[in-house]
Amino acid sequence: MADLTSKLTQRISQTQDQSPRRKFPRAIGLILLVLAVALLGAFPLLPFVNNYLIDVGFIVGIYALLGLSLNIVLGEVGLFDLGHMAFCAIGAYTTGVLFHQLQLPIVILLPISAIVAGGFAYLVTSPVIHLRGDYLCIVTIGIGEIVRLVLQNNPGGLTNGPNGIGNIGNPDFGLFSIQSPTQFYYYIWIVIGLVIIGLINLQKSRVGRAWNYIREDEIAAKANGIDVRAFKLLAFVLGAAIAGIAGNIYASKYMFIEPNNFSFMESALLFCIVLLGGLGSIPGSLLGAAVIVIFPEIFRQFATYRLLFFGAALIAMMVFRPGGLWPRRREGLGFAGLGIRKLPRDENALLAEAPVPPRPGTVPLRTYRLPPVTVAMSEGLTLETKAITLRFGGLVAVSSFDMSVATGKITSLIGPNGAGKTTLFNVITGIYRPNKGKVIFQGRDITKLKPHTIIGAGIARTFQNIRLFPSLTCIENVMSGPHCHAREGTWPAVFRTPAQAREERKIVDLASYRLNQVGLWAFRNELAKNLPYGKQRLLELARALATSPSLLILDEPSSGLNDKESEDLMAMLQVFLGEGFTMLLIEHDMNVVMGISDWVTVMDMGSKIAEGPPQEIYNNPLVIEAYLGKEED
Amino acid sequence: MDTLIQQLINGLTIGSFYALVALGYSMVYGVMKLINFAHGDLFTLGSYIGYTVLVVGASWVTATFGIWGGMAVALVAAMIGIGVAGLVMERIAYRPVYKAGRLPLVVSALGMSFVISQGIMAIWGPNPQAYLSGWTPKDFLQFGNIRVPVLQIAILVLALALMALIYWLVERTTFGAAIRAAAQDRDTATLMGINFNLIIIFVFALGPALGGMAGVMQGLKYTRISFNMGWLYGLKAFTATILGGIGNIPGAMIGGLLLGVLEALFEGYVSGAWKDVFIFLILILVLIWRPTGLFGEKSAEKV
Repeated sequence: MADLTSKLTQRISQTQDQSPRRKFPRAIGLILLVLAVALLGAFPLLPFVNNYLIDVGFIVGIYALLGLSLNIVLGEVGLFDLGHMAFCAIGAYTTGVLFHQLQLPIVILLPISAIVAGGFAYLVTSPVIHLRGDYLCIVTIGIGEIVRLVLQNNPGGLTNGPNGIGNIGNPDFGLFSIQSPTQFYYYIWIVIGLVIIGLINLQKSRVGRAWNYIREDEIAAKANGIDVRAFKLLAFVLGAAIAGIAGNIYASKYMFIEPNNFSFMESALLFCIVLLGGLGSIPGSLLGAAVIVIFPEIFRQFATYRLLFFGAALIAMMVFRPGGLWPRRREGLGFAGLGIRKLPRDENALLAEAPVPPRPGTVPLRTYRLPPVTVAMSEGLTLETKAITLRFGGLVAVSSFDMSVATGKITSLIGPNGAGKTTLFNVITGIYRPNKGKVIFQGRDITKLKPHTIIGAGIARTFQNIRLFPSLTCIENVMSGPHCHAREGTWPAVFRTPAQAREERKIVDLASYRLNQVGLWAFRNELAKNLPYGKQRLLELARALATSPSLLILDEPSSGLNDKESEDLMAMLQVFLGEGFTMLLIEHDMNVVMGISDWVTVMDMGSKIAEGPPQEIYNNPLVIEAYLGKEED
Repeated sequence: MDTLIQQLINGLTIGSFYALVALGYSMVYGVMKLINFAHGDLFTLGSYIGYTVLVVGASWVTATFGIWGGMAVALVAAMIGIGVAGLVMERIAYRPVYKAGRLPLVVSALGMSFVISQGIMAIWGPNPQAYLSGWTPKDFLQFGNIRVPVLQIAILVLALALMALIYWLVERTTFGAAIRAAAQDRDTATLMGINFNLIIIFVFALGPALGGMAGVMQGLKYTRISFNMGWLYGLKAFTATILGGIGNIPGAMIGGLLLGVLEALFEGYVSGAWKDVFIFLILILVLIWRPTGLFGEKSAEKV
């Protein structure tokens, strides 16, 4: 059987393998980058550049830094943040207030401002982080307004109300202090450079990928072991900290801050910067900032009309280039776009090098803490549900349901449409919490665990209506699998520690192996949404496998597949069985059910009506009645 | 006690402005899933249209139709003008962007907001304008110690009547059912023979028209209008919409009235400077407690 899959794979690879497309060679990109950096560096020294232009360059820098910080929240995670200036305000006022109250030097206040802004973001967003789209949007607007109004109302005489805080000092690094426009120009752009290096490293790590998974499909992200809440909060905290740094630099340059510097209008501008540049695109944010600052400057002579033009330009941009000026490209970059060190040039070599993954259930769990093993399980069982009941309003979807799944076997759950099968799967994987009953997995009570912890414990699933990460490549999709066993967090990713690099390499190895195993290696650099339906199912399967689960739960894996594809799928499932995976299926295709199941449980109207070996079930009158109705006589 | 009643009446009045603007937000959102950030500025534009009708025609509009007639003409002019403006806006700023997704739409809406508010400034100037006292009735009704201007009562009654009309239209007529169906599922509604374009036209004409009328009412009540007042009204109305549950028509009305009353009570008894902080805190607390607003449907995503 293993033979069969590899043959299949080969056939596909031979016919459809393609090398990554490139618009232009890497060398030209590098030269352009060097030129851009050189231009930025030389800008204040050019003959026609006066202090006014240098200050414009500084403002572009401030907005670029803020745009980059919002891009984390809005671009990478897709969270609707229209109050981002609040975090900049917190940074600026932390600097202003502490400078006057405690006479702390500006340079020391830089990290303090970042920490205070980040901490503030954690406090105010953690109660509301679960809100969806537009609700989160109004809350962020509300937070922005609350911060501005509080500063204006001068609590405890600290903020000096609408008059603002003046006489803020310049940054002094001991050997030299930053005062002139040129010095400030270099100061902000050096900070931006450092921030960008960190952000690129983050973007191309499991942290950045986790953010993108959440943006693409929150539920699928959860079901693949991503702690959605934690990663959303991380984005807010990081974004706020960088905005806080921008606030500190702004305050030290103008030596004066007032509440109206941080109005809704400014937050809206930041939002426009990110979208003008392109969601999740770092060069896009820089470009967006340049447009937002320079455009009104050019139209300065039209004084009263310039914002009018600006508004019209925003509309025109969205009409003609809705993806932004410099959208982030994923396809066509090949594995180089993953940013993993020391990958072989030929991607196929990776396949040869990739080690066979360890047996299911032996992958050490690192990230999540599980409840202790307290329940003695019957011999040979992996999963048991005990009297699970779930009600939706008055409807009892699952009623006192007992089921067991034998280790190393394929168990099928069948039943008419609406019987509650998928609901039961959702209870097992933690997406719903049952009203009564327990889910026991390998002796652990996992009933109350969150979905991402359950997957870490070793239960992976696929969805009835496929849920992939549509705008990410196939390999990136599968790379979400090993996420739940990875340990290296944010800082190792920012600094690219050797341990982090090794871990990333392991992730890509495992993902490659699984992608190849389901026969999709040839499509590794295609976006998931461009695959045909049958291949999308396989991709989802590969993604679930890549979490290295002990138990694989498949929700109608053969639905929408033709006979040939179903057969291939069955062969593939047998291969997985041979590897040691335990499987639980919902399946309607009786050929599949009868062909590969070791045990069949039948569900109707939320209750179990029968269970037994396939042949027995096939002839069970109760089952026939549930499917076909009662025979009239 | 007197203060309480006075503040309640004031709160209901401003709350009815919020509610009318919120209705527009909610209707457009329900059908298009678009937060129309330019909506508050259409409110302002309505205010200025009413102002212009009364200024330009002060000699004959008010003279011909009387004080009440003059106000009615201003309201109708704003209603028609803003209804048309809403349609034009949809055509140039939103329709070409729908397919690009929701975030580009937000930017387009923000751009539209700049265009309208800056356009008003370019036409009528940056300084605030005033509805002159000669245009409005100055009668009072006396209840014990409380004096309530007749105008305020008329505004409140009109606003409530408009809300009742919309409620009837959306909840009790076949066309309303079509709107609600389109809001639930655009494709299925179209397949069932509902003309989606007609519904877009309806919500983008009627929603803004209500806001435009609210703009005139606010001018009549508070006399002072300025080119940038729209964003605060828009923000409050948006808050009201979310409080009531976005896309929910009765929710928007109740949310608006509730917001107005809470605001007036807080201003009357605690502090004017902190009232907006209070309002946003209420909003956040309500959303923590009920993540889809007071009357929003609990939307468990189908897995």
